[in-house]
Amino acid sequence: MMALYVALAVGAVMFGIGLYGTLSQTNLVMIMMGVEVMLGGALVNLVAFWRFLHPTAYPGQTFFLIIMTVMALDMAVGFGVGTARFRSRGSVESEEARELKG
Amino acid sequence: MILQTVFMGLFGVAAIWFAIVVFRTSSMVRSALALLFSQAALGAMFLAMQAEFLGVLQIMMMATEMAIMAVFMVMFMMDPGGLGGMEMTHQKRYAQVAGVIGAFGALGVAFGAGWGTPKATAPGPQEQLRGLGLDLMERSMLVFETAGVTILAAMIAATAVAVATRSASNREGDDR
Repeated sequence: MMALYVALAVGAVMFGIGLYGTLSQTNLVMIMMGVEVMLGGALVNLVAFWRFLHPTAYPGQTFFLIIMTVMALDMAVGFGVGTARFRSRGSVESEEARELKG
Repeated sequence: MILQTVFMGLFGVAAIWFAIVVFRTSSMVRSALALLFSQAALGAMFLAMQAEFLGVLQIMMMATEMAIMAVFMVMFMMDPGGLGGMEMTHQKRYAQVAGVIGAFGALGVAFGAGWGTPKATAPGPQEQLRGLGLDLMERSMLVFETAGVTILAAMIAATAVAVATRSASNREGDDR
């Protein structure tokens, strides 16, 4: 029982740290790093649930692969947007991106 | 089981520590390396949880992902080495409160919910891989195929967004 709680606690703390990073950073790359930390926390929970609650059922591992895909896509699209933004404005600082505010 | 818990705790503490370092250092390259170590520690934690395939996958994926991230950081950041002491945070108090609430909320669910009795043993690596492969090719095939198509769409979208338009190329040419 203890091992499950250790994993869930690590996942929860990683989620909190990632949330702090995502909300507090002004740079697009650092914001993406915060999202990666949060998704890392989610991965820990997924593996823990598979290992300690349903070790003979594999949809949990499939879900892990999907989350990993989301992590890679987040990076690819984020850097695509970052590159476009850097070309047009010379910066990827969120403080300077106010066009969508209206 | 006790040894497994001890190793999970050690790798978990390492992952948390490096995740904190990501947002505390002013050098972007150090941030990328700290995130790499944090995700690698999570991979080691998966290995300790007997999820061998997922652990190795996590370490390999994150090593390449963070290497690419470090290159982009140096390209995009005005002060990648952190020597200028630039302030790159905002709404810190609000972010801290949100982070603490998020972490304690998740901890509350983790410790408050009744998860049932944990299983002491897990299938061996070969059996796990076989089970995962069968699941991907049978029950979760549609999900797996959708992920593949989504990756393709995102690759095309990211490339289309990042490619310089004619006007942007002309502007860059004027600058030179």
